[in-house]
Amino acid sequence: MTARGFATNIRLGLIASVVVCCFGVLAARLVQLHVLDREHYLAQIQNSRHDIVSVIARRGDIYDTRRDILATSQTEITLAVDPWAVSKKIEFQRTPAQRERLAVKEREKRARLAVELGMQVSDLEAFFTPAWRDVPVAQDTRDEAADGRVRIEWKKLREGVSEETFSRIEALHVTGLTADRSYRRVYPHNELAAHLIGFLNKEGAASGGVESFADLYLSGHDGWREVERDARRTELAQFRNREVSPSDGWGVVLSIDTAIQHIIEQELAYIVSSFKPGKATIIVSDARSGFLLALANYPTFNLNAYGDAPLEVQRNIAATDLIEPGSTFKIVAASGALNEGLVTPATRFDCTLATILYQGRERKFMRDDHHFDHPLAVSEIISHSSNNGAAQLAMRLGDRRFYDYARAFGFGERTGFPIGHEEPGLLADPAKWSVPDITRIPAGYSVAATPLQVHYAMSTIASGGSLMRPQLIRQILDAQGEVVYSFKPAARRVVIAPATAESMAAMLQKVASEEGTAKVAAIPGFEVAGKTGTAQKLIGGHYSEHNHVGSFVGFFPASRPRVVITVVVDDGHPADGRIAYGATVAAPSFRKIAEQLIQYLDIKPVTSPLQAPVGGKLLAHNQGARP
Amino acid sequence: MNTRDNRAFATQIFVSALLMLGVGGGLGFSIVDLRQRISVSANNARILDQKTAEAGRRLSELGGSVAAEQSPEVLQRRNQALALGLGLPRESQVVRVGVSAGERLAAKRNAEIFQSEHGLVSMPVHFNLGGASR
Repeated sequence: MTARGFATNIRLGLIASVVVCCFGVLAARLVQLHVLDREHYLAQIQNSRHDIVSVIARRGDIYDTRRDILATSQTEITLAVDPWAVSKKIEFQRTPAQRERLAVKEREKRARLAVELGMQVSDLEAFFTPAWRDVPVAQDTRDEAADGRVRIEWKKLREGVSEETFSRIEALHVTGLTADRSYRRVYPHNELAAHLIGFLNKEGAASGGVESFADLYLSGHDGWREVERDARRTELAQFRNREVSPSDGWGVVLSIDTAIQHIIEQELAYIVSSFKPGKATIIVSDARSGFLLALANYPTFNLNAYGDAPLEVQRNIAATDLIEPGSTFKIVAASGALNEGLVTPATRFDCTLATILYQGRERKFMRDDHHFDHPLAVSEIISHSSNNGAAQLAMRLGDRRFYDYARAFGFGERTGFPIGHEEPGLLADPAKWSVPDITRIPAGYSVAATPLQVHYAMSTIASGGSLMRPQLIRQILDAQGEVVYSFKPAARRVVIAPATAESMAAMLQKVASEEGTAKVAAIPGFEVAGKTGTAQKLIGGHYSEHNHVGSFVGFFPASRPRVVITVVVDDGHPADGRIAYGATVAAPSFRKIAEQLIQYLDIKPVTSPLQAPVGGKLLAHNQGARP
Repeated sequence: MNTRDNRAFATQIFVSALLMLGVGGGLGFSIVDLRQRISVSANNARILDQKTAEAGRRLSELGGSVAAEQSPEVLQRRNQALALGLGLPRESQVVRVGVSAGERLAAKRNAEIFQSEHGLVSMPVHFNLGGASR
């Protein structure tokens, strides 16, 4: 008999039928899943697996001119607690012993968490105690029982947890603890340059300073990606279908230098402690480029605690608050008259006159503080700060030309300073002047300017006659730190000829000399040129005898200027009861700042390089002789 | 009817079916394995991404901390606390020398050679602590 083997017709038919049936069942199931119930399952998948995750772009940093960080973005973690998570986990345990063990273990973890957070364990336990919240019964849809109360499943535990602390907390694996990561703006130098930097509020909106002005560069663009998650809500990276990468913000390099900023803020603190002013401002800029090196105001605030600072403290008073510039304004009349060739530094004026006939009308001069026994040369008008002489210089120019020069120096118009809401100041058109205005305005009264305008007016002389644009941003960096754009010095206009600027600088040197009003500002060998200003404050419609704005604006060395410094002390009160003249409250600070800048910026003396030390601290080569 | 032909045909069908199952199964397993590998690679890439982001975050935090520690105010506080006495010299403490630094140093080290040539006399720098006289 022939062996029929395994593959009989019946068996083969049976196996084939089974295989076909299996395939048939599979096919049927596939049809059910993919055709009949497709929409249902797709919706389920869509709900449970698909997610769109936004990827937050990192805001760019703000740097000083040496690339020290002034503002940066750091992640911070907000910890929250689901108080019910622990009890749910315990319920899942099979035996009471297991439940007890888990409860003890969780308590131990929480005790360690309390240590990490610096809290009392009892306070922390209160967060982990399951609690309910009452809601209207109609809205009670969050749990099975519509009993008018729902479980509180999210309690904020702590904000602002650092990455380092969080990594330790994460290692504890505390049940019910959740964490959200977000970016926070950090200002490592606290108060330093607060009015220039500005801040980012809790909503992430830029407020004031460079943060607001350069927001377009700093903010970047958030990205997003479409992801799928598994049952544990873990992202399935292989199903990242669509993705738009975030574009991090660009960095902004400022022209300010933290060291110089610190120097002037220290000096401002000294002014505040010595003279208790209402307000004070110090500005330092590069004489040649007009770039700001430092700017500080009093009062100021801590950028990391901006919420504690009233709005008026957050104002950049150097750009927003108006002062009567006082005698610092005299540079306008003198420069104008010199530039027009109407006078020379040696031209003399009788400054003892009480009145003068001008344009057919008698004008009464403002009283000078000193009596002059001889006609004053233009250089003496500046060095002695004669109101009378300044008025006569303006009269030589005439109303319109004097006004035009004042405008050309930047008074009555915004300087273009990019930060804050800058005020244009007040400088009336000559058509609107009253009779005494031609005697008052040249002396810096009946005109209002911001400290920044006064500073850049003096800067015009330091720069050789060009009114520079105040600039604060030096470079823009991309996310990799490469320079994208560099800002160049920009002149707004040429105001006076270089020769006039040179003459003015020479005359202004005499202010900081034995014969001038601010000999205290002089630094031997460094040709300090400047102008004091003292203006009575207008209080209740009258000029006060006790409230003054004292200022000193100057630059050095006069023959090749490096820095321009402005010190404005508003309503200072010297301890000895003296009037807060610019020479008293501002010029000494100018000198102190200048002396430090000489060392920091390595400014070389112009005259007498071999100078004997005072106090005998150092003995060095000195032509073979001990000083 | 030729039963041998039928059996041979059935056997061929059976073998082909087994072969198809084998190949299909193998292909299926390969695809599953491939997808698994893709999944693992993607997951590793995601983890690397996370680690990079975490490193970036820590770097930012560190950068901020370093900047805060290097703040002039903090440095000054440390200077005072540690009584280091560091600071910029005052202008009154500085003696400016009219000759070049190179010549000065050369004269200092080789006074006997340069003395006649430049008329300089070497004199060491003394620093009196707190101005105390010796």
